[in-house]
Amino acid sequence: MAIQINNVYKRFGSLTVVNGVSVDIADGEFFVMLGPSGCGKTTTLRMVAGLETASEGQIFIDGRDMTHAEPRHRDIAMAFQDYGLYPNMTVFQNIEFPLKIRKLAPAERRRKVEETAGRLGISDYLGRKPAQMSGGQRQRVSLARALVRNPKVFLMDEPLSNLDAKLRAVMRTEIKKLVTDLGITTIYVTHDQIEAMSMADRIAVMRKGDMVQVAPPLQVYDRPATCFVADFIGSPPMNLFKAELANNGRVVCQVQGFGDALDDGERDRARAMADRHGHFAVGIRPEHLQCVAAGTPGSVEGIVELVEPLGQTTNIYLLSGDTKYVVVTDRTTLRAGDTIGVIAPGDKVRAVGLDR
Amino acid sequence: MASQKPLLSRAIKLAAAYALALIATAFFAFPVFWMSSSSFKSELDISQYPPVWSFAPTFENYAKLASELDAFDAFVNSAVIVGLATTLAMVCGTMAAYALARFDVKGKEVIAFEVLSIRMLPPIVSVIPMFIIARALGIFDTYWLLAAAYGLAGLPFVVWVMRVFIQDIPQSIEEAAMIDGCSRFQTFWRVTLPLLLPGLAATMVIVFMFAWNEFLLASMLTSQNAKTLPVIAANAIKPKAIAWGLASAAGVVMSLPVVVLVLMMQRYLVRGLTLGAVKG
Repeated sequence: MAIQINNVYKRFGSLTVVNGVSVDIADGEFFVMLGPSGCGKTTTLRMVAGLETASEGQIFIDGRDMTHAEPRHRDIAMAFQDYGLYPNMTVFQNIEFPLKIRKLAPAERRRKVEETAGRLGISDYLGRKPAQMSGGQRQRVSLARALVRNPKVFLMDEPLSNLDAKLRAVMRTEIKKLVTDLGITTIYVTHDQIEAMSMADRIAVMRKGDMVQVAPPLQVYDRPATCFVADFIGSPPMNLFKAELANNGRVVCQVQGFGDALDDGERDRARAMADRHGHFAVGIRPEHLQCVAAGTPGSVEGIVELVEPLGQTTNIYLLSGDTKYVVVTDRTTLRAGDTIGVIAPGDKVRAVGLDR
Repeated sequence: MASQKPLLSRAIKLAAAYALALIATAFFAFPVFWMSSSSFKSELDISQYPPVWSFAPTFENYAKLASELDAFDAFVNSAVIVGLATTLAMVCGTMAAYALARFDVKGKEVIAFEVLSIRMLPPIVSVIPMFIIARALGIFDTYWLLAAAYGLAGLPFVVWVMRVFIQDIPQSIEEAAMIDGCSRFQTFWRVTLPLLLPGLAATMVIVFMFAWNEFLLASMLTSQNAKTLPVIAANAIKPKAIAWGLASAAGVVMSLPVVVLVLMMQRYLVRGLTLGAVKG
């Protein structure tokens, strides 16, 4: 089922938490809302669920206006960060609950619960209470309870953030596979950029109640709309250098060599996104910068401040003039204090808009 | 053996703990024991000094309680009045507490505090006005008056305590129920209420005990028809002497329902008295 969020606002008193969000989510899409805490992503999700009422705007589910409908009339399922399991019921009763409310026959209920539990690998725990299970198992129960009634829309509110890193990675792939196989339209809220990148068909990056950028993951990564997006996605994040357009159209950059590397297309984009005073940023992903011998033509001179070997890659923290930035390379023999040249390939240098 | 020493010291600690617990229990249980045994003593045995420990038990005090003091009627009065009052306070109080805990009520902190502040009023202050109003309404010396008075007296306590119990249940559990297909009321009935049982049991016992033992209002607002147990028990204290056997028997009869209730609710009470037991 498709979901349309149409110019939705949420205000608590004088505080605007969601600031006119509009987005169309396609049938079967895995849509991730990503942002730091307090950016309005969970509130937006809760308005789709019907747990909060929009102060303004409309929400359509499958073409029907659901802005003011009760949660139970929306045919949605939801997974919560703290699982929201019924502590006094067994796992079986938890999963069965939505079917019971819908007054399905007991035999049918049993069949569906067992089938769903099998799919999620919790068949052996059906007699246990939630308190007797680990966090990962509990989240599986909550997923099973959500999936058992074949919902058309699945909402997930940071379902993995209470799990440890290793389990998170496992559950990430499982959830993605599960909802893709079932073809359920999913809205997934997270503050974890890796979850967003690895699971989403499209990511909406949110900041202060606005959707700053809505695009497929790689596009968000390669062409961040604003400095906030550039800084939020990627680890280490994109290097950003202050830049402005001079009156003659020339780019003046904090590290001039990188500003000069902008190709014509990016220069046009810069013109379009520069603010009233012509300010913008030049952004380069750390892995796109290349270290060469000092003095190589076209390179920017940098002094190595710190080398951080991570095994697979190495972070090199550099200083050019008084500007700090980071390069990600393979293993290296460079040491702090070395002077090297840095080249920014023209096709990897981006013009990035400033945040309002 | 190296492990024997800590084992021994653990045994000593355990024994000491049990001994202390026994002393404490004896301290609190002795008056109850003395009351119960006195209720089965004859006038003569009671007045013995030093007190006698073995005696021929008699039911004469209980018989007198029924014949002289109309204890049976008073027991029924008490049961009806306190039952009504407890039900009233629990049902209204829990629903009010739910609203104050979960809904966006304007100024709900103020309301919650106002409700509690009623508790701060000494009961004696309200007795005279209640007496006059009850006379005017023609409900003096009826079940309704005392039931309403006890219900209203218990209400603030129920609201205040149940609100905390409700707030203690993670909101996501209720939200999950609403998404699973429940209406607000179904959510409350099928999901929230079962989780509240320990809290409800603990609160109910306290409200019941307060109303069951209440004397001041009962003595001022009844005369013949609606007399409760505490009022007739006080009649054992006669102008010339205290009928100890009668008073003890009245005490036993009064204590029994509370004991039974606590035993019935024991399963929930332990969890209810330790707040925060429902967090999964």
